[in-house]
Amino acid sequence: MHIQDGVLSPVVCAATGAIALGAVSYSVRRLKQSVGDRTIPLTGMMAALVFAGQMVNFPIGAPVSGHLLGGVLAATVVGPWAGCVAMTLVLFVQWALFSDGGLFSLGANVLHMAVIGSWGGHAVRLFVQCFIGDSRKGIVIGSVIAAWVSVMAAATLLCLEFRLSWSPSEIDVSKFFTLMVSFHSLIGLGEALITGVAISFVINQRPELIEWRAEGRQPPDGPRNSQEVRRLTPASSPNIDRVNPVNTTTVAITRTLAAGLIIALAIAAFLSPFASSSADGLEAALGQLGISEFNLTGRVPGMLKDYDKVPVPIAAWQTLAVSIAGIGGTLAVFVLAWLLGRAMPAATQALNSEAAGE
Amino acid sequence: MTEAKISSESSTVRVERLSFRYPGGPDVLTDISFTIAPGEIIGLVGPSGAGKSTLLQHLNGLLPSQLPNEVGHVSNVSHVVIDNLPVARQTIAEVRRRVGFLFQDPDDQLFCPTVFEDVAFGPLNLGLSEDEARQRVRDSLTSVGLAGYEPRSTLRLSLGERKRVCLAGVFACQPSVLALDEPFSSLDPRARRTLIGILKKFPGSQIIATHDLDVVVDLCHRVLLLDAGQLRAAGPTADILGNAALMERHGLEVPWRLRREN
Amino acid sequence: MCHRWPPLAKLLSAIAMILAATCVPVAHPLIGIVTCGIFFAHTLARIPLAYVARRLLFFWPPLFLMAISLPLSQAGQKGWLLFVTIVVRGTLSFSTALWLVNVMPFDQLLATLRRLRIPDVLLAILSLMYRFLFVLWDELDRMRTARAARLFRKPSLWATWRSAAHLVGRLLIRALDRADRIHGAMLARGWDGRSRWIEQPREDRP
Repeated sequence: MHIQDGVLSPVVCAATGAIALGAVSYSVRRLKQSVGDRTIPLTGMMAALVFAGQMVNFPIGAPVSGHLLGGVLAATVVGPWAGCVAMTLVLFVQWALFSDGGLFSLGANVLHMAVIGSWGGHAVRLFVQCFIGDSRKGIVIGSVIAAWVSVMAAATLLCLEFRLSWSPSEIDVSKFFTLMVSFHSLIGLGEALITGVAISFVINQRPELIEWRAEGRQPPDGPRNSQEVRRLTPASSPNIDRVNPVNTTTVAITRTLAAGLIIALAIAAFLSPFASSSADGLEAALGQLGISEFNLTGRVPGMLKDYDKVPVPIAAWQTLAVSIAGIGGTLAVFVLAWLLGRAMPAATQALNSEAAGE
Repeated sequence: MTEAKISSESSTVRVERLSFRYPGGPDVLTDISFTIAPGEIIGLVGPSGAGKSTLLQHLNGLLPSQLPNEVGHVSNVSHVVIDNLPVARQTIAEVRRRVGFLFQDPDDQLFCPTVFEDVAFGPLNLGLSEDEARQRVRDSLTSVGLAGYEPRSTLRLSLGERKRVCLAGVFACQPSVLALDEPFSSLDPRARRTLIGILKKFPGSQIIATHDLDVVVDLCHRVLLLDAGQLRAAGPTADILGNAALMERHGLEVPWRLRREN
Repeated sequence: MCHRWPPLAKLLSAIAMILAATCVPVAHPLIGIVTCGIFFAHTLARIPLAYVARRLLFFWPPLFLMAISLPLSQAGQKGWLLFVTIVVRGTLSFSTALWLVNVMPFDQLLATLRRLRIPDVLLAILSLMYRFLFVLWDELDRMRTARAARLFRKPSLWATWRSAAHLVGRLLIRALDRADRIHGAMLARGWDGRSRWIEQPREDRP
């Protein structure tokens, strides 16, 4: 998922950087309001955890393996603001320690994985929970769907950034989009699966770690085992509310936001293949907004003049492929979410015994 | 090694009829009373899960349920008094300065990237000036025998060194009471002996929760025996730890050194 | 000798080199000069070429995967030119970043950021994260070893996935518990939520 330097044009890097900076600054400001309690150690540990969690390999085929991205996981456990900050720091440290991802494209990476992952993921999960309810099942199903949607949203955004980075004579975005969406609907499936299993594991073992944060609900009445006792000290409960202040007003706003986001995503995922075949429309719109410079930057000079007309093998194929990837992915995620949600009560016993052994 | 100043005074600790339970849970501590005189070293022994850590955390106000203004608190206020200073919300800063707390896992306590930053954390939070803070870091590292460790990364230290850096961080606040939670667990004999030497030089009062009864014999003036949240016995070290029947009853063993004396 | 430059100079020169690498068109002769510059910087810092090559071996596959989607989706030479552009620019900026990582230890970067007035909250979280990253890694390693020690036959793909996700979950639980204990340890030494820093003596590392 990491975008390297050189993939996006400097102007797009600057623009995404500015947006990411704004979003992260806002998250930091929200986080600052809660300084003095557990937020700082909690966020630091969450960032370290996502970093370490990305080291766990999930084999796909013989040489290929995937890993967790973690935005939705972080947002579910520590809330969207702390989650966004934690993910941003993970991306920064990955660049600073391993040169993973670029410096100029850090803004784009933060936007894709930290902002969309945490803010967007949080909004989607709350939205899903509107329908399923705030039960443990609701949290698991919500985060599974949120994980998949956040990866797809990031992929869509990447295509848009790509489109703005290279001039239309150089690149046919709709095909690129086809490829990216098909590819990412699989990555998203992996992310959804990992996030879902990890969260349902935690929620079975130590529900109080996630539940009150996730819902802003009061902690459950009595501790269930000795380990929980420690977590249920009153020391923590007032602080939790400040970590992730969810009262009725904010929930209502988040729900509205979430609905908007879902609609936008649906449009992006299913309508853009049709829209981008007339790329001029987008270009004209950008020109009207006075940002036609986008098309001038990052252009590879010369040599390309003769390749204006690219024959399209099957005109309908791109649209079809995107729709298949989108619909297939969505269905798979829903089935996955449903299965995980269904398996939850039954899995508790098995998980407990396994945890005792390992 | 030069003797550095690591404690300003020694304090009395008074615990009166302290009970505690987590909301909705069973009692963790029931009706506990004892006093630690200035300069006294107390051993806190008992089987795992007896409530030793919980008791120690009360001395430092780390379980804010005992403080007023906290929701859902179960036990009452001011059951712990440090030098006439009841542990309460208003006094918590001063209480935490006087009572130094050593956690069981040094990784939990060493949260800064370098030794210097970690030891300086306490003094800076006390509002000391930069020069004073530097002086405190130097002194307390010297007193644990780690002078010159300031620029070292906290990641590249042995367990014994990490424990001693933690102790230096505690000493840097110049506490008059030390509360130590399992300070000797998983230390090798040499690191254990070094730590005992450091604790013996500390002039303030100490309360040490440990399973290492040989150290208790060596170090402690008195012993408190805690089981299932209740204070079962208290008295001079040899009387308690040498009482085979009592020790047996609470799942403990008479340490070797006392057996040989019999 | 780059190691002894002032930290800000290292950071700025790295930014300048990456900027040059990403802005100069690939077909332009200037790109050769940029490449030479980056190579020269590596030589100055005495970074072994074999090390750079080894890191590039890990860096290239994902970049190729990303870039290959261009020739696949764009017909003819156009796609391939974009492919080359992205690979060249990516490789150059990666090498520059590698240089920075080698001449600038992380705590120096942290100190530089502190001087650049990055919010204290962010820096406090960052240094905590850096500190506990390795603790969590060790924990993860131990858990993986424990799992492998009891794995007698090759598990199915689903079982591998499930146990890997459980590994993440278990690590998460431990991390959150540790966050609580760290919070206690911070409070015990008089923390009130404000970060206070003073310059520390620095160990000179080669």
